[in-house]
Amino acid sequence: MLQQTAVNVPSRSSAIVAVEKLVKRFGQFTALNDVNLTVAAGEKIVLCGPSGSGKSTLIRCINHIERHDSGRIVVTGVELTDRMTDINSVRREVGMVFQSFNLFPHLSIVENCMLAPIKVRGLSRKEARERAMGVLRRVRIHDQADKYPGQLSGGQQQRVAIARALCMQPKVMLFDEPTSALDPEMVKEVLDTMMGLARDGMTMICVTHEMGFAREVADRVVFMDRGTIVEEADPETFFRAPRTERAKGFLQQIIH
Amino acid sequence: MNSLDFSIVVQAWPYLWLGLVFSLALTAAAFLIGMILGTLFALVQHFEVPVAGRLVRAYIALIRSIPLILVLFWFFFLVPIVLGHLSGTGRPVPIGANWTAFITFGLFEAAYYSEIIRVGLRAVNRGQFEACQALALSTFHTYRCVILPQVLRVASPIILSQTIILFQDTSLVYVLSLTDLLGAASKLAQLNGRLVEMYVVVALVYLGISSAASQWVASLRKRYAMAGTRR
Ligand SMILES: Nc1ncnc2c1ncn2[C@@H]1O[C@H](COP(=O)(O)OP(=O)(O)O)[C@@H](O)[C@H]1O
Ligand SMILES: [Mg+2]
Repeated sequence: MLQQTAVNVPSRSSAIVAVEKLVKRFGQFTALNDVNLTVAAGEKIVLCGPSGSGKSTLIRCINHIERHDSGRIVVTGVELTDRMTDINSVRREVGMVFQSFNLFPHLSIVENCMLAPIKVRGLSRKEARERAMGVLRRVRIHDQADKYPGQLSGGQQQRVAIARALCMQPKVMLFDEPTSALDPEMVKEVLDTMMGLARDGMTMICVTHEMGFAREVADRVVFMDRGTIVEEADPETFFRAPRTERAKGFLQQIIH
Repeated sequence: MNSLDFSIVVQAWPYLWLGLVFSLALTAAAFLIGMILGTLFALVQHFEVPVAGRLVRAYIALIRSIPLILVLFWFFFLVPIVLGHLSGTGRPVPIGANWTAFITFGLFEAAYYSEIIRVGLRAVNRGQFEACQALALSTFHTYRCVILPQVLRVASPIILSQTIILFQDTSLVYVLSLTDLLGAASKLAQLNGRLVEMYVVVALVYLGISSAASQWVASLRKRYAMAGTRR
């Protein structure tokens, strides 16, 4: 079923994320069925597909927010098992941005960015604050550092969420529909931030239906349907000449 | 009956003050013990710790179904006997009225605070836990730095109501022959016959303290509301 076009699949050694024969069930329901995905350092992947196809489940398995049933997930050389040491050493290297931001409402913007570096990376408050201010400046929101999440617009909150993840200096960033909960006029500022990250060489796996972003940034578009990867190709090929009927149908829906 | 004479209150004030200080001290101690134990109890249930979870649930159900005054009695009379048996001599080991009051109030309030916190824990958005996981925060730091602070802020009005009830309940220590604010007033009233004056003043003190506490929490809440999420 998998249709490989001329995409150079990275070799195992340079892979930052390697997913092999992944199966994830929710009770009787199989949400992911034999998923294979390898992501090289610096690669940008856009993951798309109809609602319920398993995109969120796949990236949530990569940092073990969902526990997979079988198959292997290796992130920066560490295989995800049920051992907490493995889980945490993977999570330390993987940043995640959610559709609904999930900022900590009782902490100021800069404190949101300082918490994990202090508690997980062992930075001093001073170091953590310096790092946080640097990253907030990079996403151009440092002038809001002492406000609380509730005082910011959705687009600003999502940029803070990106900054919070970056403060852990991750090797991979996962995005789960980061612009879907935003008012249309705020989508661009978040996409611009993500494009900036891409330019800086971050390895990214983005679930998004923003096709402009995919065209500009993605090295590969991965199309999922019903729990499997149906097609993967470079964006030009994927958008111009999708191979499968399912991808064609999906693209038609997106465009309308 | 004579006309009211509030000058008697000035005379009585030093004694009332002692009673008030005892009430406040007992409230503060019971609040601290109750909140710490209550949080532990809530977490034990939240994590569904095998045996401890059931024990805690049974304890809370028991405490919440009997009046505080009964718990005070039991604690005062039974615990010395139990301690006596444990020490092997068989002779009761008195623990004193003050200790009885502080420990009993703390244990009693823990059951109520625990229920408040348990409900608050369930109300925290799942996304908050996921954000903590994604940042590799340990379970300890997740609860200590993210989840519990939010629970305490959201639950603060209910925690306050419970604490005001606690403050008023301190008058029950009369069964241990201890004297709180209300106890002091009623003893004086029996001596000087100025029942109305004494009880009016005591009511005003209760009112003043309770409304001051309410206002303080309201101002905390307002600050939090500003810090809360927009949607
Ligand atoms: N916690 C869960 N329990 C049961 N079913 C779930 C759960 N999470 C996701 N699913 C199901 O798994 C399928 C894939 O979900 P998801 O990965 O969220 O899809 P997508 O992100 O592509 O829209 C859906 O059918 C969804 O209903
Ligand atoms: Mg999804």
